[in-house]
Amino acid sequence: MTDQPTQMSPVKLGLAVAWPAFWTGVPIKIALALLLLAMGQHPWEFPGLAFLLLLSIPVDIWAVGLSGRTVFLERLGVEPPASLGLTLWWQGAALYATYGSLACFLERQTIAGSQAVVGKILDLELLKAIPIAERISIELTAWGSVSAVVLLALTLGGLFLFGKLVQRQADSGSPTTAPYEARVHQWDLMRVPADQPLMLTVVMAVGVAMVLLLWAVMPVTTPHPHESYIKDEKKAAPILKPTEVLQKAERVLTQAETSVQALEAKAKKSKGKAPAATDKKAAAKAKKA
Amino acid sequence: MSGQPNVLEKVIAFVDERVGLKTLQAKMLNEPVPGGSRWAYIFGSVLLFIFIMQAVTGILLMFYYVPSADHAYASTQYIIHEVDYGWFLLSYHFWGSSAMVVMVFAHMSQVFLWGAYKSPREMIWLVGLALFGIVMAFGFTGYLLPWDQRAYWATTVGVEIMDKTPIVGDFMARFLKGGATPGQMTLSRFFVIHVMILPAMLMGLAGLHIFLFRKAGPAGPFQGTPAELKAKTDYFFPRQIWKDMVAMAAVFATICSLAFIEPVVLLEEATPDPGEYHPEPEWYFLFLFQLLRLKIFSGEFGQFLGAIAIPGAFMALLAALPFIDRSPERNIFKRPVALIGWIAVMAAILIFTVSAIINREFLD
Repeated sequence: MTDQPTQMSPVKLGLAVAWPAFWTGVPIKIALALLLLAMGQHPWEFPGLAFLLLLSIPVDIWAVGLSGRTVFLERLGVEPPASLGLTLWWQGAALYATYGSLACFLERQTIAGSQAVVGKILDLELLKAIPIAERISIELTAWGSVSAVVLLALTLGGLFLFGKLVQRQADSGSPTTAPYEARVHQWDLMRVPADQPLMLTVVMAVGVAMVLLLWAVMPVTTPHPHESYIKDEKKAAPILKPTEVLQKAERVLTQAETSVQALEAKAKKSKGKAPAATDKKAAAKAKKA
Repeated sequence: MSGQPNVLEKVIAFVDERVGLKTLQAKMLNEPVPGGSRWAYIFGSVLLFIFIMQAVTGILLMFYYVPSADHAYASTQYIIHEVDYGWFLLSYHFWGSSAMVVMVFAHMSQVFLWGAYKSPREMIWLVGLALFGIVMAFGFTGYLLPWDQRAYWATTVGVEIMDKTPIVGDFMARFLKGGATPGQMTLSRFFVIHVMILPAMLMGLAGLHIFLFRKAGPAGPFQGTPAELKAKTDYFFPRQIWKDMVAMAAVFATICSLAFIEPVVLLEEATPDPGEYHPEPEWYFLFLFQLLRLKIFSGEFGQFLGAIAIPGAFMALLAALPFIDRSPERNIFKRPVALIGWIAVMAAILIFTVSAIINREFLD
């Protein structure tokens, strides 16, 4: 019965706090990483990485505090200390820096060692006839199994140490006298505030703001064009301005009219001159006669 | 505050009087969740969200996509290079299909490990299996549409595998291809199946799935005393809805991130000559593809065994599961065969998928 505080092993205790804390922080971190990506910054390269790590600190403190308080109230029956999140975060960070680095080194060595050993075994004359597809799967299963067992052991070791840190905090806390239902209600209220409409409004507003920000910073055309794709660089058609077109047409018509009038006048002139010349010739002919 | 209802309240009252809006709302939101809300229950809602997003992005893509062998590739390139945010919509749609497959696996695993397929929820499980098949068919038919080498050859391999099915295989392969080699008829048929038949089937079956789920009620956690479960029981709204919303936002952000990290870039336009390209299906079929490379599955019979008989038998076993496993015990730690079986299947899928990726180095 959970009315009584549960006795939990350090591994279980570590898992009960670390697992939900990890997932509590993930959605916020993904949203931050997405905004960085939309702005053209990779979250795994400097300065994007530094920015993300820095922003992750308050998120992690909040997440560890939330899941820690839940476990303290629901499972251990202990009033959580006020600074539980911050304490567990810095102690966990120190543990990750030391034990995590060691664990990474050991895991890498295990992978390299097991790959080398499996490779040598499969290079034996007796096993050289194994087809390539089978060889790949056998090799992967062999070194993957060894590495997975070591990884599991190292993870359990990490959870044990983190659980010990949580246990130390629990030992310093005072047992709660509230019944189980009241304790459940207490940790439940940490997640769902009393003013739900206000919370929903805030969540919706943040969501809309994030989406607008995403569309604002996102590139309009692909940042990864296909190497053989020739972009159609058409000249933009001139914008039609009706007044200018009409004025231009009027000018052309006026010019045309002037030209026509000039041509007509010239034609008239030449018509008037031509009969005179003919008359002179006729008079000359008549004189001769 | 005055006692007079405002315009909005009047409109709601008008609609409620005619369609029973408040009763519907109460039915939807006041579903008791035994043992309280849990993150493990988000997968169904997230799947629905992904499907809606796939439908929205799919419709937007259809405004520009031309389903003809002459224009499919060019119109897809046009979407990527010319249409404003087209590259993002296409990449979101592409990664959304992968997310759907991942979520289907997660949802089925959760139901299996929780023992939620047992009586009286056998029908929900069976409809869920049919939905799994539809999701896979979505992935298979959508893969051809960009009409590049990857699309063409993955479809060719897929249809050849289908051809090995006894009795109906030849008919199905001929029907899908519509000719000797994939061409205009294949593209038209895949397009119609992808945008008309499968969405209609999915909507119908998803509705039935949800109806059956609401009829039987949530199974709740597989361990805990009745007193504990009663103390934690609450309604679907607001706690479970809040969890679902957070999960949807996280999935949306993840798909968007993947679209930025690895946007869709087409290969060369489809031709009946693979050239340098080594045909390969989408990642979620890779394990099966690698399985077929094993010597034991070579030859006509071997290919039938690996491509049809074993996956078919596995699906039949899944369908029969609620009728074989009739024990009321739901705690996965007290069902060692189920636990070991699940781990073995997941490990096999993982090993063969990674093997297929490693195998790429040895193809040239």
